[in-house]
Amino acid sequence: MRAIQYAAPSTVEDAVAILAEHGSDARMLAGGTDLIVQVREDARDTGVFVDAKKIPELMDLSVNADGSTTLGAAVPCHQLYNNAQFAASYPAVVDAARIIGSTGIQGRASVGGNLCNSGPAGDTIPPLIVHSAVCNIAGPDGERTVAVEDFCTAPGRNVLADGELLVSLTLPKPPAGSGSHYLRFIPRNEMDIAVVGAGASLVLDGESITAARISLGAVAPTPLFVQAAGDALIGLTANEDSFAVAADIARDAASPIDDMRGTIAHRKQLSYVLTQRALRGARARAQGGSPTNGH
Amino acid sequence: MATVHIPTPMREATDGAARVEIEGATVREVVERLEASFPGLGGRLVEDGQIRPGLSAFVDGANVGRRLRTKLQPESELFFVEALGGG
Amino acid sequence: MAVDTRVGQTIKHHDEEYKVIGTRPIRHDGLEKVTGEARYGSDINLPGQLHGKVLRSPHAHARIVSIDTSGAEALDGVRAVITSAAFPDPGDKLTGGGEAPGLPLKFKSANMLARGKVHYHGHAIAAVAAANPHVAAEALKLIDVEYEVLDPVLEVWDAMKPDAPVIIEDLYTAKADGTTAEEASNVAAEMLYEVGDVDAGFAEADLVVDREFTFGVVHQGYIETHNATAHWLKDGHLHVWCSSQGAFTIRQELADLLDHPITKIHVVPMEIGGGFGGKTTAYLEPLAALLSRQTGHPVKMAMDRADVLKATGPTPGGYVRVKLGVTNDGMITAGYANLAFDAGGYPGSVVGAGCRCVFAPYNMPNAKVEGFDVVVNKPKTHAYRAPGATHAEFASETVVDEICRTLDIDPVEFRLKNSAKEGDWQLAMPPYPRIGHIECMEAARDSAQWQTPLETAPGKKRGRGIASGFWFNIGFTSSVTAKLNSDGSVTLLEGSTDIGGTRTSIAMQFAETLGISVEDVDPIVADTDSVGQTDVTGGSRVTFATGLAAHNAANDMKDQIVEGLADLWDVAADSITHADGTFSANGNSATVGEAAGLLEEEGVFPIGKNTVTPTREGGAFAVHIADVEVDDETGKVEVLRYTAVQDAGVAIYPPYVEGQMQGGVVQGVGWALNEEYVYDDDGHLLNASLLDYRMPTALDVPNIETIIVEVPNPGHPYGVRGVGEVPIVPPPAAMANAIHDATGVRMSHLPMSPARVQAALAAEA
Ligand SMILES: Cc1cc2nc3c(=O)[nH]c(=O)nc-3n(C[C@H](O)[C@H](O)[C@H](O)COP(=O)(O)OP(=O)(O)OC[C@H]3O[C@@H](n4cnc5c(N)ncnc54)[C@H](O)[C@@H]3O)c2cc1C
Repeated sequence: MRAIQYAAPSTVEDAVAILAEHGSDARMLAGGTDLIVQVREDARDTGVFVDAKKIPELMDLSVNADGSTTLGAAVPCHQLYNNAQFAASYPAVVDAARIIGSTGIQGRASVGGNLCNSGPAGDTIPPLIVHSAVCNIAGPDGERTVAVEDFCTAPGRNVLADGELLVSLTLPKPPAGSGSHYLRFIPRNEMDIAVVGAGASLVLDGESITAARISLGAVAPTPLFVQAAGDALIGLTANEDSFAVAADIARDAASPIDDMRGTIAHRKQLSYVLTQRALRGARARAQGGSPTNGH
Repeated sequence: MATVHIPTPMREATDGAARVEIEGATVREVVERLEASFPGLGGRLVEDGQIRPGLSAFVDGANVGRRLRTKLQPESELFFVEALGGG
Repeated sequence: MAVDTRVGQTIKHHDEEYKVIGTRPIRHDGLEKVTGEARYGSDINLPGQLHGKVLRSPHAHARIVSIDTSGAEALDGVRAVITSAAFPDPGDKLTGGGEAPGLPLKFKSANMLARGKVHYHGHAIAAVAAANPHVAAEALKLIDVEYEVLDPVLEVWDAMKPDAPVIIEDLYTAKADGTTAEEASNVAAEMLYEVGDVDAGFAEADLVVDREFTFGVVHQGYIETHNATAHWLKDGHLHVWCSSQGAFTIRQELADLLDHPITKIHVVPMEIGGGFGGKTTAYLEPLAALLSRQTGHPVKMAMDRADVLKATGPTPGGYVRVKLGVTNDGMITAGYANLAFDAGGYPGSVVGAGCRCVFAPYNMPNAKVEGFDVVVNKPKTHAYRAPGATHAEFASETVVDEICRTLDIDPVEFRLKNSAKEGDWQLAMPPYPRIGHIECMEAARDSAQWQTPLETAPGKKRGRGIASGFWFNIGFTSSVTAKLNSDGSVTLLEGSTDIGGTRTSIAMQFAETLGISVEDVDPIVADTDSVGQTDVTGGSRVTFATGLAAHNAANDMKDQIVEGLADLWDVAADSITHADGTFSANGNSATVGEAAGLLEEEGVFPIGKNTVTPTREGGAFAVHIADVEVDDETGKVEVLRYTAVQDAGVAIYPPYVEGQMQGGVVQGVGWALNEEYVYDDDGHLLNASLLDYRMPTALDVPNIETIIVEVPNPGHPYGVRGVGEVPIVPPPAAMANAIHDATGVRMSHLPMSPARVQAALAAEA
């Protein structure tokens, strides 16, 4: 490991300037629970750490006039489950925030860092997708927005260009009658990485589904938005038969690999099972209850 | 006469006998006579006058390792067993 | 002072009453360990110290064409770079004492730094000493190695094929009959054990079950990574501080590998954060020593987790076939087994021990077992708690369970009926001495778990399994030197690295024998210059063998006190009696403390000492019960309840025995469910991290109920049997049998990971 420079800008403009100056040698540092580990293990060669935590916009968590929520890119996970309003509005994101690492890790780890690390198994990404979250990006050429489902491009890669950073995420206000759930399969019961993760959101009108989004993690090079699975549910009754239809589509959409964390066959099967379970959890929440089948 | 138990793969040398009776007051004496009575056998259990590295002798249930001067009783039972390590 | 702790059940099969043995004092090293004052290898920091790092092979099998170290040597702060050329030529020498004497030294030497050829991914190629660890790491990147990459052979069944690439060109099979094969192959050794007439036995059987099993490689998973600091003085004295299960073993290995006089080598065993068989051999010590000799400075080295997983000695993967014949009323008539284990990159797996354990719990009139030690392109494997027994007995105990199901016989009854007992024949061994398998099985049958029907839950697949386990235990050599201080306290020097709290269990046996309190004994793990020969902390031998040395040393001290008092009191030595720590004769009496004071005035300072190589280790049996729940949609197995029963002989310090039992279960459950080395086709280890090498966490195991059974070992004055290893043996079989009970599916590979269980369920459906 070589010597590293550390910068702590207090404005987005300054951060952009430092990032632009150092190009790919500079990286944003949020909680550091990915970055510092990767640099220490020689998995990433970085010369300049640009601390995100002194920039107010990146530490912001607030509700906007239109009812949407701004989640600063560096806000640590523990703030999410300790914020009753956020937890009530975006339960799938909070499901993820609660299972990342341990309590200690959650004190540092941010949703923005999880997203920008762009791992196929990043736990917050499917929940952000099912909540239709949008990335607010700043760079030398100004600001732009990208839907979360379009953010990751390959394992460890995303749409951010040199000099760009993620400022925040905007999560739309969930409509009445909605519920969401995220869960993952891990062989152990903690401190593990998802073999498959599944998030689902539902909007119900009585028993009838008016909107649905489904997203899978760890079954493709990037977290997968399975739009067809959600669309197929619209107009159907929120019951096991309908969920099986969506789960079938999700299983077909999954294109996993064999690796040290799982096999193709197992991940296909898990895509089906977890989609069903995520939908059951989302339905329970939409109806004012809580999920019963695990994380 | 001590009874020496012959490991299965080495019974060719004893014409298939699983046990042979050998006179001897110590393990060393038995081993020497074993070699004399069953040419070729000695060489597999004993090397340069020592019990082969990696083997242990058991006398009447006691693991005496490679200690050739271990005394024998007239009714002693002698085994040669691979030495074990542990975790 | 007693420790308030969760107390398990103990069932005694003897009437001995002890004052110290069986109590629960505060461990002598407890405070140091919880406050962080205890010193581990990484705490060693010497003036002028350099830092060493190791370059490792990115390939599993390759010829080393050239190594150019000039770039690294030119880097500022780099002080030395070594390759295998720094080691003396091992020639045809064999390794000396220690764990596995009599193996060619050239293999061990080439495992330290690859000699001409890479045998596995992660094989050490070169080592660097530099001013700090960061410079050393940068220097590794500047070493230029040209490899000619060869096809790797990863599994025993491939390595044994006649057309397999031969990894060691001059390896000729050592045959079971003592002869040597004519053609080189990957099979380092064959073994054969036989008793009775197996063909006749199978002919008598009404039912024959014949099954094959396979195993992934698993690591011991000790938390403290390997580390070593060496200082080679100008006069040739070499001082080494390291994390090892055996300081004397490291000394011997250094003497062999470096061709250096043993008297000039001084090894200091530091506190150790686990070993389980994986720290019985040197990796960094010789490199640090050579780098120190070359630079004239102390050199400190430490592995990271990836190094540990890639390049130390995990325990083998491989293959086991078990065939058992039984009569319709459930009597075993014959058994056949065939075991082929990974030796890893160099010969010497634990297959022999596995062969001899495979049928150990049973009285087998007719048995035949064949074993193969097979070289493959994986790290040189080593012992792991009851080495070889877990694989072997996973196979045989699964087959026994299948037989019980088929014949509809209760698995406890079957085992009781066929159990090995005192006087029964052992495979290629003298008959069993007093053993406690039946007593363990009865205790399991009577346990709360076995007596409580498994609770069913709608939509849940639950099952219960039971399995036995056996491990030999090892004797080897141990020494104790005990000094009586003038206040009556005793400083006790012993050479066994303390992994499981053995300082205290040794001190307790000393205190019991001399009749003093354990708080009056100060046990110290001494270095190789300060105590007599003591072999590794392994083979479950420390409380047994070093405890025996402590008992003998206490008697030696007692004799010296008696002699001194006889002089002082002017009585015959044999008229002095010793009871409850008090010496009396002729109206005189003195406690040990008083005697110490009296003798001090005479200028007499008793030193009790003993070196012992015990000959009757006494094997250990365990019986475990597992309740599991299987998620049939995902294949995930949850342990609901677990009871471990074990014959400890006599439990010197019951909480430590329970701790060993529980620790063995945790590791066994990890092995059963998730732990496994994952390789790609090119032989790269893909999961060299604790994220992806999945050991159980605290949330993955339930409270483990323990039942200590005490059937004293006749080979020890206090009846001690080793307890550290056998508890890892039954868990995989107990879990597999429980999974079968829950789902009807028989698992034949370890680990029984969710993907494998789910695949088996899908295949069955
Ligand atoms: C013990 C442990 C357990 C873990 N368990 C889990 C788990 O269960 N599930 C899971 O998904 N992850 C897990 N992780 C990984 C990690 O904690 C998460 O991905 C976390 O959310 C990362 O957030 P961070 O704030 O620490 O990111 P950092 O490490 O600070 O950054 C991560 C990456 O994002 C980039 N980045 C950060 N902020 C910005 C920004 N504003 N703009 C542009 N780029 C940015 C960084 O340069 C870096 O490349 C675990 C890690 C550890 C050490």
